[in-house]
Amino acid sequence: MKKFGLFASACAFAMAVSAGGVNAADCVHKIGGIAPLSAPGTVVGGEAMRDAMLIAEKDINAAGGVLGCDVKIVIADSEGLPEKAKAIMEKLITQDGVVAVGGGYHSSVGVAAKDVANARKIPTVFAETWNDTITGDKQKYIFRIAPLSSWASATIWRYALTIDSVKKVAILTENTDYGIPAAKETTKGLEGGGKEVVTFSVDIGTQDYAGIIQRIKASKPDMIITLATGEAGYNFTQQAADAGIGPLDVVFVTGQVSLESKAYWENVPDGNRAFVQRIGLPESGFSARGKAFAKVYKAKTGKKAVESYAMEAYDSVAILAQAINEAKSTDGDAIVKALESITYNGTLGKIFFPYGTGKDPSADGKPDSWWHQWPDVALTMIQYQKEGESSGNATIVYPDVYKTGEPIINK
Amino acid sequence: MRTQVPNILGVMILIFFAAFPFVYSAGNYDYVMHILIIGFFYAIMASSWSMLAGYAGQFSFGHMGFMGIGSYTTALLLHYVHFSPEPTKLCTEFQFGETWMIFVNPIGVTSTSLTQDCLRQAMQIWDGSVAVTDVPVWFGVILGTLLGGLAGFLIGLLVLRLRAAYLALFTLGFAEIIKATISAEIHITRGQAGMETPALFENGVTLFGQVYSRTDKLPPYFVFFFALLFCLAILTWLSRSKFGLFVRALREDQDAAAALGVNTTRYKIMVFVVTTSMAGLAGALQAHYVGIVTPNALFLLQMSLVVAMAVIGGVENFVAAALGAIIIQVLLELLRTQIEIGPIVIDMTVWRLVIFGVLLMVTLRFTSNGLIAPIIDYFYRGHIGKETVAKRAKPTNEAEAN
Amino acid sequence: MFWGAILWMVVWGVIGSIAIRRRYLHRDLDTSNANIVGAFVGAGTGPVGVLFLWLRTPVLTVHYIALPAIITMGVFMFVFATSDPNNICVTNGTFVASQVVNGLVIGIIYGFMALGLTLIFSILGIVSFAHGEFYMIGGMLVYYITVVWFPGLNPVLGVLGACIITFSLGAAFERAFLTPMYDGRVARPVEYGILVTFGLAFTLQYFVQAVAGANPVKARRFLDFPRLRLPSDDDPWLLKSSRGSLELFESVTISSPRLTAAVTCILVLIALLYFLHRTWTGKALRAVSLDRDAAAIAGINPDRMNMLAFALGGMIAAMAGALLVQAFSWLPQVGAIPAMRSFVIVVLGGLGSLPGAFIGGIFVGLVEAAGTGCVPDPQKAASYIPAYGMLVLTLTLLLRPTGLLGRRFSSATHGQN
Repeated sequence: MKKFGLFASACAFAMAVSAGGVNAADCVHKIGGIAPLSAPGTVVGGEAMRDAMLIAEKDINAAGGVLGCDVKIVIADSEGLPEKAKAIMEKLITQDGVVAVGGGYHSSVGVAAKDVANARKIPTVFAETWNDTITGDKQKYIFRIAPLSSWASATIWRYALTIDSVKKVAILTENTDYGIPAAKETTKGLEGGGKEVVTFSVDIGTQDYAGIIQRIKASKPDMIITLATGEAGYNFTQQAADAGIGPLDVVFVTGQVSLESKAYWENVPDGNRAFVQRIGLPESGFSARGKAFAKVYKAKTGKKAVESYAMEAYDSVAILAQAINEAKSTDGDAIVKALESITYNGTLGKIFFPYGTGKDPSADGKPDSWWHQWPDVALTMIQYQKEGESSGNATIVYPDVYKTGEPIINK
Repeated sequence: MRTQVPNILGVMILIFFAAFPFVYSAGNYDYVMHILIIGFFYAIMASSWSMLAGYAGQFSFGHMGFMGIGSYTTALLLHYVHFSPEPTKLCTEFQFGETWMIFVNPIGVTSTSLTQDCLRQAMQIWDGSVAVTDVPVWFGVILGTLLGGLAGFLIGLLVLRLRAAYLALFTLGFAEIIKATISAEIHITRGQAGMETPALFENGVTLFGQVYSRTDKLPPYFVFFFALLFCLAILTWLSRSKFGLFVRALREDQDAAAALGVNTTRYKIMVFVVTTSMAGLAGALQAHYVGIVTPNALFLLQMSLVVAMAVIGGVENFVAAALGAIIIQVLLELLRTQIEIGPIVIDMTVWRLVIFGVLLMVTLRFTSNGLIAPIIDYFYRGHIGKETVAKRAKPTNEAEAN
Repeated sequence: MFWGAILWMVVWGVIGSIAIRRRYLHRDLDTSNANIVGAFVGAGTGPVGVLFLWLRTPVLTVHYIALPAIITMGVFMFVFATSDPNNICVTNGTFVASQVVNGLVIGIIYGFMALGLTLIFSILGIVSFAHGEFYMIGGMLVYYITVVWFPGLNPVLGVLGACIITFSLGAAFERAFLTPMYDGRVARPVEYGILVTFGLAFTLQYFVQAVAGANPVKARRFLDFPRLRLPSDDDPWLLKSSRGSLELFESVTISSPRLTAAVTCILVLIALLYFLHRTWTGKALRAVSLDRDAAAIAGINPDRMNMLAFALGGMIAAMAGALLVQAFSWLPQVGAIPAMRSFVIVVLGGLGSLPGAFIGGIFVGLVEAAGTGCVPDPQKAASYIPAYGMLVLTLTLLLRPTGLLGRRFSSATHGQN
């Protein structure tokens, strides 16, 4: 699979290079794209984002590039590590000379990289980093189109509150700055709704969950929420199923990584009826651009469904390209100005940033984390209801606006 | 005359690195400087490890653990201790004359929308009217160095009776415990999220009338460069003194050394303290340079890098180990590219480490002392203890028995 | 209260360990067990036992280790139970049973894997740092054979294929890189062995990452259980099974992958014992591990035994991986944690001791299960998993470096004096 992905991206790369002749071949503007491409980062996510960003590169150039030049996306591997994040941000800016940066998967990477970008006045649109502080620090050059961690947690706990049979919830979280605050926010929300909550945390890289699963089982939860990135989601879900508290036994929210349905069914054969949180609309509700992207993306990667982070990655670089064109300059301040007033029709829908240097979030009584933040992220809960089902076809069970079917609740 | 060649080369290399930041001026200046700074960091690690493993024969795999102690000492100190002319009335604090020493309460990993620590709350109330000062960075670095050495002293005591394989396993275990503790005590260390640290020169620095801001690479470059020279100087001095002779005797035959009246215990502990302080120093400096410390720095992979650099350079010669570290660090960065051979595109980002591993094995297999050390030896045989050379030339029966 | 009691035990353990050793040394008695007996007696019985030993200085047989060790464990459990009476490990018998079974099952597999490491050590005198990578490759090969190359192939053939390939890999590596150790071409063979296997580990891990990518993969379950309800459908208190797992006495669940892995490990272990004790080659292997020169005089080629031991040791690790790839999602870096655990186990069991490795494996499995299950703070219990084993390692090295069943090696280069 990886080989194919590599080959495909290589082809895309070659084509992008050869397609350079369309625009002025002698000028190139570079945009950085951060993605975790090696462990301990979530490589599944990183490769999806890389592929999406390379498709974006091709689309942008086909549409005339930026400022009459070709655009080149320079992919950089964050390895999911904050210290690496700083180094590659530095490299992108000073070595490769990028004018703006998109992508980004791990929250810790975003938190570490944003300071470098801001200090060097390089506009950065983060794609999939959820930690609230990333925009909460109100830095001039930092934007985000991913949901806030607090919104994402809210979808899960609000959904949990709608299920009356759930009295006690167990949360499994990874001990990172994605997992811990998310677990705290979810706990706060659930306890506010009168549910009992117990949290278990694990180190990333853990393989054997048997012991902790027995502990979770002994606490007799009606619902389990997994707040872990990477293969932890697979390992934990399947081992819980083996121990009799899997998706077929209790209400089970599995990790984000499970949106990659092919890998999910290979790694979690007993994973039917698992719930996953998804960002973005169902495929039927995609914008025209989203549909076009989905077609190219599926053909390129051989995947059955488009992951939300792939779409976010695509939009994060495409919106930068549009902003540069609108600013008619690659100057950081000009791009920020363009971004603050932009209306971009992307794969995820209409993207805009209502708060920023012009209007502080506090003017509308919003918290600081709304700074340079796209407010209209569609957050849904889906449920796998058939074995082998693709996440794109899975039933959307929450919220009611997007609902496509009733959830199957295990008693 | 021939013995002077390495000295001349050495001086040339020194001048090259000293002049480099002023001469080089390409667009990727900051990036190249960054690679060299990290190269110096690994050079300190590799050369001190080669003293421990190559000279003294103490095969410790816990060097990264001591480095971690160094970086977390300074990170924790600077994060939790502050000084202020006014009491916060929220934190634990003690008065010393006019100033208050403030201990910030640990809040763990959280997001801005949840909780804030007591100092931040107090600062919000003061609204900029009170100037809070941090512990100076140099103090954190010194404390990190000392604690690295202290940990080395304790571990040295514990491993007195262990040799070879047992020692390797024990020190590996030590590094793992340190890493697990840092990852698990999220409340204090923020676990995988890492702790942010102030830059080496948070408020910039003025050198020779030139003002450098906190993100400029030149000041940290020279800090690391001089730290490396300082460590190498100490190592050279030690290796040429009685200490070096005794320490090598430890490696060759501990029992014989003890029988000849060498206080093996004392020298074993001393070599641990010296080398682990250097690891602590490197860790503390790196923490402030990178700006964030995470337990990932203690991964076995990082240790493998240090070991491989030292081995490829030459594990029995710390100057060669340091050079090996810098060269390999630069090579590894250069190889971060894609090679296209006709239609086949090879992503070197992954393959470079494979090549590196093969190089490590082949180096070990065919040269006994790395790739750089033999070159130095060739010119410079006189100073590398003659007895070592003699012993290697004639295989003994003992070795065969193993 | 809890920490106070622990402190008391640690202090008396340290006092006992040092004082008793001094005392035995002073009286010119055998001190090889003094450390560990002193420590356990001190921790378990406090000053009373230490004083007794101090005055009587009996010959320290195995009983003097076992009894105080049991007492220490009992005291520890008592202190734990009284200080935290609501702990799940104290109140919930079913939970304890399930954790114990869990620890046993996984411990058998750990022990099996460690067996390979100890086999290599007993013949070659080196600790293979590539053991975890053999484990990883074993799993990867089963995935590739049964899922990618020949989809639907019987998993037994997959495991066999993985064993053959890793055996050849181990043999080839030994021929190419370890031979200089035997004839004195390297000055310090033990260190050379550590470093060169370290290099192999590095190379293998990144090679697999470059070739296979870093997506988690997994082989299909080798065995689906039939649906059983015993004794009857309405009240299956004895046994209840579904496709992937088995529930005994309505309390203990064992998953199919773990059960098949553990059972296979035991069967292979029996075969291995037969090989070592009943065949000529096996006997030759054991002879070399006991006395190399004497074996050579008896007409055994020690060099060939080196190759066999390294290849066999690597294959055993690979087999553990091959059996577990149906239980865990597999990545190129999965080897690190099991490798670390194998180190702990072989040191605990005694480097070079085969039965020691197996017992050590089960012990470590139980300690990890107890740690994960009983540490009161659920936020931290699982994060410390790697540290539990390391704690065992540290204590063993301090108290009894030869391990539970270890023997002393005549040559000091092997490890300790």
